[in-house]
Amino acid sequence: MKFSNFLGLIGAAAILVGSASGTAAEDKVVKIGAVMPLSGGAASIGVHVKAAFDVVLDIVNNAHPELGNFPLAKSAGLAGLGGAKVEVLFADNQGSPATGQNQTLRLITEEKVVAITGAYQSGITLTSSAIAERYGIPYVNGESVAASLTERGFKWFFRTTPIASDFAKVFSDFLADMKAQGAKTDSIALVHDNTEYGTSVANTITATFKEKNLNIALDVAYGSNATDVQSQVLQLKERKPDVVIMISYTSDAILFAKTMQAQDYKPPILLADDAGYSDPDFIKAVGKISQGAFNRSSWSVGPSGSPSAIIADMYKKKSGVEMDDTVARQMTGLFVLLDAIDRAGSTEPAKIQAALKATDLKPDQLMIGYKGVKFDDKGQNILASGGIIQLQDGANYVSVWPKATADKAPVLPYKGW
Amino acid sequence: MMRRLLWPSVVLALVIAYPLLFSTPFQQRLGALVLLYAIAASAWNIVGGYAGQVSVGHVVFFGCGAYAAMAAYAHFALSPLVGIPAGIVFAVAIAALVGGPTLRLSGHYFSMATIAIAELARLIVTNTEYLGASPGLSGPAVPRNLFDLSFVSALPYYYLFLLVLAITLLITWRMTNSRMGFYLRAIRDSERAARSLGAPAARTKLYAYMLSAGLTSVAGALYAMMFGFIDPESGLGILISVKMLIMAALGGAGLLFGPLVGAAILVPLEELSNSWLGGQGAGLTFVVYGAIIVLISRFQPGGLLALAHRLWERHRKVPEAAAAEAGHAS
Repeated sequence: MKFSNFLGLIGAAAILVGSASGTAAEDKVVKIGAVMPLSGGAASIGVHVKAAFDVVLDIVNNAHPELGNFPLAKSAGLAGLGGAKVEVLFADNQGSPATGQNQTLRLITEEKVVAITGAYQSGITLTSSAIAERYGIPYVNGESVAASLTERGFKWFFRTTPIASDFAKVFSDFLADMKAQGAKTDSIALVHDNTEYGTSVANTITATFKEKNLNIALDVAYGSNATDVQSQVLQLKERKPDVVIMISYTSDAILFAKTMQAQDYKPPILLADDAGYSDPDFIKAVGKISQGAFNRSSWSVGPSGSPSAIIADMYKKKSGVEMDDTVARQMTGLFVLLDAIDRAGSTEPAKIQAALKATDLKPDQLMIGYKGVKFDDKGQNILASGGIIQLQDGANYVSVWPKATADKAPVLPYKGW
Repeated sequence: MMRRLLWPSVVLALVIAYPLLFSTPFQQRLGALVLLYAIAASAWNIVGGYAGQVSVGHVVFFGCGAYAAMAAYAHFALSPLVGIPAGIVFAVAIAALVGGPTLRLSGHYFSMATIAIAELARLIVTNTEYLGASPGLSGPAVPRNLFDLSFVSALPYYYLFLLVLAITLLITWRMTNSRMGFYLRAIRDSERAARSLGAPAARTKLYAYMLSAGLTSVAGALYAMMFGFIDPESGLGILISVKMLIMAALGGAGLLFGPLVGAAILVPLEELSNSWLGGQGAGLTFVVYGAIIVLISRFQPGGLLALAHRLWERHRKVPEAAAAEAGHAS
């Protein structure tokens, strides 16, 4: 080999080494995987969550002094990792547990994400988190409510959202409070569809209410996406329960509101379990004939200038729609995960896991109305909670319970139209 | 003879070596998925391809296997493997029960009847507490032993699925070369003509349907074991029936290796489009499926293998003719 060739080789090697170390120095991006429904029946959730996560990244990656002491807002990037920027890689779960699992594997092994969030549908969260568990990658879920998810003995799975039993407790406490104020709550009717959501929530409420000696007098089940609910409403009209609890998706909720008006039936208290009643489409379609409906929500806008109000504003600008409970819970999940990575000061899975276990966020550090975030051994947030909101004017929900965080007092009875 | 075996053995060697050549976890998993869907599509091919009875409700049998495997674990704490024979029994029994009346229907009417039955099954399971209703049934979260067939790596799945696919194809191949295979092809081409020549059309179709159902249920059980979860949508959703049909049709319905070729194209397309487009290509898979249905039915009803075969024949004719002349000359 000629000497000049040798020199050339050395030079090439030096360039290679140089460029390699160059990328190492720029390697300050923390990659998070998000497995979400971007197509299929729940595709609209995917559209919203993309806008929502963009807002989270904006807050974390850029300086936002207007948010005050809100975690990760003050400085640009993650301070604990020397200002590293965060990137979220989305994968479409296509509404299928199999695809959700494949994509989680791809995000972990091909894209080398340091943690995962997702996957909206409980069944997909189940299969997708099983892969993360096997690979030892932290998985933070902000929105799936199936109780079984945290009963699997997983070490890498953390859930920030309240689940059905938490909401059932909110309902029973709220009704007890209303009773103390003179409302009648002696007989309660449950109206629910026969989907996973409808059945499991109805079962949980029934079990919780039984413990609290609240009497469920009537259980009205119907097939989801119903075309006619006259017989169900007639049943209610005949039995005259004091409280009707509605567990319905959007199209059914709209149909119930219209049928109730057509049959001139108004329960004294109408209490809804999120879902359809929180959908902006529901309010647009039948808000005016559902005045006074109560609903549960962990999200409420809060006074203007507060972090939650500012974030809601950013979200509305980005997505064109109002912030709702689901999106707020998903954003909270991502914030909690990023806060843990920041505190871990590392992208090593074990250190992130340790930081997640040590999470102890206070209510004023959250954009949502939880009592805080603190995980038990199973990975469930024990401080998750919610409140009651009411559609007083038929156009906007206002928080009415618990009293400490309420904007207005609850108005009884249900006004309807 | 040697030359005839050369290409098939090269392909076989490549199939066996695939997970070693493409060794990242995701690539291995992709390979396993191709084989899994190839098993299901090959099973569909027996009744949909060879017998020409286009079933769009095959997911019922897929669900039998998947639910049997998960129920064996969830209710009896047994290995999901135990569910395989149970699933086959259920699937074959349902096929015998349903096949009797529906196989008398011809063409679209048969397809519509099978869709109705599949949707019925989905609704019944959605409301059956024992089968997990809408929340579904899950397998062992963490494997207890080898027999749970729950592995982190896709490598064991790959070779297991390859073995099952080989058995499925062997059964299919034996069938096509038996009296039943000839009956089936005669029925596909013209049922009336086959009947008038004395072929027992009703019985032959029913046997094919039952055989196909049993094999489809094995695919369902393997699916459930790999993913560890089944619910009415993923175990009995109509999209799975459609996938089996499209994979077989794309590769070549009624050809032994047609479904495998179809699966080898569609499965990677579905998974990779997700990563290439970074989640931007929402719903692209379904657009592609639709386009394939239109293109195949318009231009190439025989599928890609039939097309390849035709091109190959055309290409071979010229040198063969030359060789024949050379033979004469000597």
